[in-house]
Amino acid sequence: MRRRLSAAYEWFDERTAIRSLLRKGLYEAVPVRGAWFYTLGSATLVLIILQLITGIFLTLLFVPSVTEAWQSLNYLKEHDAFGSIVRGIHLWSAYILLFVIGLHMVRTFFSGSYKRPRELNWVTGVGLFVLVLGMAITGAFLPWDQAAYWTAVVVTNIPAYTPFIGSFIRALWRGADTVGPITLSRTFGIHVWLLPAILFPLIGAHLALLRKHGEFGSYINYRGAYKSREGVDVPPAPAQRPIEPPYPAAPSEELWAAPLQTEDFYPHQTFKDGIVSAALVIVVFILAVAIGAPLEAIADPATTSYTPVPEWFFLPLDELLVLVPQQLIPLVLVLPTGGVLLLLALPFIDRGPERNPFERPAVMVPGAFAVLFVVILTLLGSGRLFNL
Amino acid sequence: MGHRDPRRLSRRQFGVLGTQVSGAVIAALLGIPIVGFLISPLFRQQQAVWRKVGDIAGVPDGEPTKFEVAFPQDVWTTAEENLAVYVVKTGDNTKVFSNVCTHMQCPVRWETALHQFLCPCHGGLYDINGANVGGPPPKPLPQYVHRTDGTTLFVQNRFTEEI
Repeated sequence: MRRRLSAAYEWFDERTAIRSLLRKGLYEAVPVRGAWFYTLGSATLVLIILQLITGIFLTLLFVPSVTEAWQSLNYLKEHDAFGSIVRGIHLWSAYILLFVIGLHMVRTFFSGSYKRPRELNWVTGVGLFVLVLGMAITGAFLPWDQAAYWTAVVVTNIPAYTPFIGSFIRALWRGADTVGPITLSRTFGIHVWLLPAILFPLIGAHLALLRKHGEFGSYINYRGAYKSREGVDVPPAPAQRPIEPPYPAAPSEELWAAPLQTEDFYPHQTFKDGIVSAALVIVVFILAVAIGAPLEAIADPATTSYTPVPEWFFLPLDELLVLVPQQLIPLVLVLPTGGVLLLLALPFIDRGPERNPFERPAVMVPGAFAVLFVVILTLLGSGRLFNL
Repeated sequence: MGHRDPRRLSRRQFGVLGTQVSGAVIAALLGIPIVGFLISPLFRQQQAVWRKVGDIAGVPDGEPTKFEVAFPQDVWTTAEENLAVYVVKTGDNTKVFSNVCTHMQCPVRWETALHQFLCPCHGGLYDINGANVGGPPPKPLPQYVHRTDGTTLFVQNRFTEEI
């Protein structure tokens, strides 16, 4: 039996080169120190795959129609315990994904991993972050309960403050002047097809670039004594350090070309990746079962008693909507757009070779203030809405 | 090869050109209908309908009163959706307000204690005449096109001014 299997493997390998593919994929040298922080990327990927799988199965029931979207999910809630768990996993893994992708970005920012030659790893990552936010916002429209309906109204109304073409953009998304049947169809299509069709190839590019240049890790992997695979400690000149492929195709500076100590991606990094991802999935599952995905009363445009409360990830923008005076409402568009453009430009602004965050105050301080700004807006928003 | 006329396309240049033209033709033939499909709802005329709000004889003077009116959802569905209408009578004058806030289109409500319309989303305030008097709303509360037949009020599914 074993011989048969191995013969079959040989046959398959001869035709596909699967062996060298696996070897290349699994035995990449990755930096050792700080490896628990480097699990955030794989955790992001695992949560996105969770989204994909639960999302595919949810389309087997959900009806994207204003008269039936809510009913189909209400049926799920009332009559389908397992279906409700699937929807719960979809919601809670989305919430946790937004957290983890944010942490992944902050980690990369502080470690200066976006520097030459990894600028495009960062740029594709910013693209993925924006797409994930887009998935979160479009997903929030779909249940067509009160929360979803009023989120759809407010979110599609924000682009109306674009100079000159504002009401055109609003009508393009809504498919009419007001939120209605075409809005739901379009948002559903954007959520399940358009954004994923861009998202998944971009993940491929992000990972291909990661493999092209190797994982950077953090500055702590490039200072101090060099530990060879045999465990001999010598502080070598950077030039003497073996630069194993696939380390940077275009090295920035010798010091930053190869980490001092590496180990195989499999099973050392995958062990840590696996532990973190499994822990997150367990948390998602518990939340999905214990709390589940809420479904409020069906959308009622005539309400005068319902107070729309945005999704938590929308709180910073919602707080801006409160704080920005009527003459400056377009600021609500300018600030996030400017923020994304700044993120995209970051590796082209901060071009020095230094990776140590404590020696890059010109970037770290504004970055920390930006994070603080978003956190404060979130706190102000939750204080206002939940009377904290 | 040495005596080739430089004004004539080489076989290679012809191949490049042909590939590019083919790509452009495919992109245009796909792109034109798709863009048209995307923007076509913008050019559709919304059907104007009149709907009866009800008898407003009992609406007290100076006290906004809420009515619900069913308007067609339009597009393909035959379903109707209820929208809120605030009728304000001041002397002989009747105004018919929508409850759509001009800031982010949240549902505005009349707060008797404040004697103002309040938007619960971002704290917009309107006085009894619909004027935006506080918070972020940039314009007054929208008013429906309306007519009365005796004491029966009718409204059309459009505002007197675009929002």
